[in-house]
Amino acid sequence: MVLRRVTAEHLARLGLALVVVALPLGLAGAWVHAHTSQSATIVHARVSEDGGWLPGTLRARVEIPLQLQLVSDDVVHGFAIGRSGAPPVDLPPGQLVETTLTFSEPGTYTFYCTRWCGPAHWRMRGVIEVAGVQGQTASEPEPLYLSLGIDIDAPHPAAAVPALRPSASRAEALGVDLPEGNRSRQDFIRRSPAETWQSLRSDPSGAPLSDAQVWDLVARLWRSTTTAEALAEGRALYAQNCAACHGEAGAGDGVMASSVPPAGEALSVGAHLSGPADFTESSTLLGASSALLQGKILRGGMGTGMPYWGPILTEAQIWALTDYLWTFQFEE
Amino acid sequence: MRHSSWSIVVRLAILLALAGLVLAFPWPAQAGTAERTVRVEARDYAFRPWRIEANTGDRLTIELASGDFVHGLHVEGYEVSLTAEPGQPASATFTADRPGTFRIRCSVPCGPLHPFMGGRLRVGPPVTFLRTLLLGFLAVVAGGLGFGRKARIAEDGGA
Amino acid sequence: MTRIDLGRIPVVRALLVSRGPQLVLQLAALAGLSLVIVSGLLGTPVGNRNPATVLVWIAWWAALMIVAVPLFGRLWCSICPLALPGEWLQRGAIHRPRGPGRGLSLRWPPRLRGMWTQNAAFVLVALFSLPVLTQPRLTAILLAGLVLLAIAISLVFERRTFCRYLCPVGGFIGLYSQAALLELRVRDPRVCAQHKTKTCYSGSTAGYGCPWMAFPASLKTNVSCGLCLECLRTCPLDNVAINLRPIGTDLQKPTRVGLDEAFKSLLLVGSALVYVLVLLGPWSNLRTAAASVGSMPWVTYSAGFLLVTLIALPGLFHLATRLGTPNGSPPLAGWGVFRAFAPALIPLGLGAWAAFSLGLVLANASTILPAISDPLGLGWDILGTSAAAWTPLGGSLGAWPMVVLVLAGLTWTSRRVRAVAEDLGGGVRMAVPVWGFSLLLASGFLWSFVA
Repeated sequence: MVLRRVTAEHLARLGLALVVVALPLGLAGAWVHAHTSQSATIVHARVSEDGGWLPGTLRARVEIPLQLQLVSDDVVHGFAIGRSGAPPVDLPPGQLVETTLTFSEPGTYTFYCTRWCGPAHWRMRGVIEVAGVQGQTASEPEPLYLSLGIDIDAPHPAAAVPALRPSASRAEALGVDLPEGNRSRQDFIRRSPAETWQSLRSDPSGAPLSDAQVWDLVARLWRSTTTAEALAEGRALYAQNCAACHGEAGAGDGVMASSVPPAGEALSVGAHLSGPADFTESSTLLGASSALLQGKILRGGMGTGMPYWGPILTEAQIWALTDYLWTFQFEE
Repeated sequence: MRHSSWSIVVRLAILLALAGLVLAFPWPAQAGTAERTVRVEARDYAFRPWRIEANTGDRLTIELASGDFVHGLHVEGYEVSLTAEPGQPASATFTADRPGTFRIRCSVPCGPLHPFMGGRLRVGPPVTFLRTLLLGFLAVVAGGLGFGRKARIAEDGGA
Repeated sequence: MTRIDLGRIPVVRALLVSRGPQLVLQLAALAGLSLVIVSGLLGTPVGNRNPATVLVWIAWWAALMIVAVPLFGRLWCSICPLALPGEWLQRGAIHRPRGPGRGLSLRWPPRLRGMWTQNAAFVLVALFSLPVLTQPRLTAILLAGLVLLAIAISLVFERRTFCRYLCPVGGFIGLYSQAALLELRVRDPRVCAQHKTKTCYSGSTAGYGCPWMAFPASLKTNVSCGLCLECLRTCPLDNVAINLRPIGTDLQKPTRVGLDEAFKSLLLVGSALVYVLVLLGPWSNLRTAAASVGSMPWVTYSAGFLLVTLIALPGLFHLATRLGTPNGSPPLAGWGVFRAFAPALIPLGLGAWAAFSLGLVLANASTILPAISDPLGLGWDILGTSAAAWTPLGGSLGAWPMVVLVLAGLTWTSRRVRAVAEDLGGGVRMAVPVWGFSLLLASGFLWSFVA
């Protein structure tokens, strides 16, 4: 064995090896390790046009925490599990955010993006398949519009429209009680305001009232069957999810309106809307019941750009939204 | 031809005085102040309108509406910041008491061209460019008052 | 003119002659390059969070344009990591010479000498610059490509052929290094004339022959000297000086430069103008066009870029130089006046590039530490700064620092124009159109910063 003196050249080569071999290999190794880790799953968030959530399907088991490392690759996104109470997690571009999810029931959970990321924002959804033993969960009740047999794709013109914007507080001043059959929440959500007006109009207690005053009663029915909290929640949900297309003032002129494809040939009847619905248009909205609106929100519009919110919003949230939508027609 | 150091000082003083005049010359007073609201749409790495104009002393409200992603609007100098996304505009009100032209930048990363997404807030009369242009003219004059140094031109350039 | 020979200070000389300090800096630069390439390829695609884009285009580029080149000339070239792997492979050694190196050591074809190839390389990179500037993966690919090219060139051609004739950055650095405080020159040319073996060029056991293929005794400007200090090590007669000198000395005495170097001066100031107008101006569709490489709008934008920088601005300048010129007499015929006046634009170009870089670095310096703290976008926090918010600097100063840099450059350029006009015997009448051209360019820069 020949012993060589360690020369400056050797040291220099060692330094070089550290810098161009060890350093890159170390970094690359750390990267591979992070991406093959069993303990945490890296999920990339991109605008839908570039792939959306990658991966889009995750797997978990009940009661075993699922560790996620979420990172946005382009713009601000947000992460939330549909129909859960957990607050959303914002994803600033390029910054990895960790979150841990634990599921108590098996099933298919939808996760979605909570910050607007382009026209296809609502399509940015993924699923988590949670495996495990099925517990005692009550089955989902049938949505109201189905049990009532409402065709949510059919046009719903209002048979009557108010001349003046109805006001619930003006109705309070009338000092008239709402009659039986038009008093409870169930009464309100099953009928369209136009139908409610017809019903109140033909009721004997409504005889001394003018048409406008009966409309005010309709508004009062709406307001008395909802709460300030529900309206506030509805307002927040509308701003986050609906205003971009339907407009902040509900006129169907949101910034994304031009990106929404018009109602297409897939719709057999009622394809008269050529963009997001205008909630300020009395002749159409007042002909729709809250149940119909719930159905539209749940199922989305086939052939239109209206998203389906069933996997995302809870029933309570959708009812809060429908309650809020009436503020585009009625005064509190 | 050598200039005396006295004449150099005099020339420098005149130039500096002119420069000061250009910078400080008061522009004629504008029409009175007002409450002004400007809606700025942020989309495709652009702010529309690119330039917001206001009179000095105006109470200015900037409303930021986004057309595609989460965008931010940051006004340099006034240090006003807003964040908005489609459907959720944001606004801020402040008094534009300092005249000048201020850079507006997007303050929320919104894609590759984000660093170059910007605009301007101009408070007061549109004089800043004119002033710097006049300063440029003075700069040419200052440089042109060269000291007549003669140098030979070498036959073949450089190494 | 006072020059201080730093080589006469024993401590300084020892540090410069020793290869240790230089090697440490070279390895540090290589470490930076490794980090940049790996993080560019594997890290987040978000430009302001990835060290590739942040370290290269914000930290290094601004340091280069505002500090390194105006003050220290080509000093960066002595530690530039793009050239080192190729050079060390070519030499077969990193430290002192160990015999003949590898590679074919071919001479660069005479027809391709001069700066035209560098001009072309610069223009090529400039056309793709917006996506490269904003996307880490493309930055990494560009740098990796340049390193591989440098290696290939080093194994085929002699010495630093890549640096001298092909490097797109080298064109910028070389031209503007003439403003610097540092220079390498010989102390006494007569000593060189009598020295038979010229080890500064041919090399010895102490060091390599000039890698830049320059002959130290004939260095009159900084343009071709990469400050690698080999000649300091090989000269047996201690005739090489590293001088500290007044700023811009190379520009004081106009030497007639070749058309390639003159054109480069126009090219650099013209491209600066296009950059500031496109990147800082109100025409967002121009920016989008510049970024969408391969599309029809990009083709249009590129055609416009080439038209302005290669034809319109040089053509206008040529016209301006001829307007005040008496006809015919050599050396004023043909391109003579163009070549005489073009170097006068160097201060304005440098001021404009420095101003543009200053704006970028003030706005985005706060992204540097967070990017380094989490280089691969895996949620690390090495420096504890990963979550630091974006904080633009210098807001209260507005555009005035940039204006000052442009005006300083314009003043100096104006002075150079006057000096050249007098040297050519044309006086003020000859200078006026060129002053006008300079003011026109400067107004473009000023408008993009303040309007």
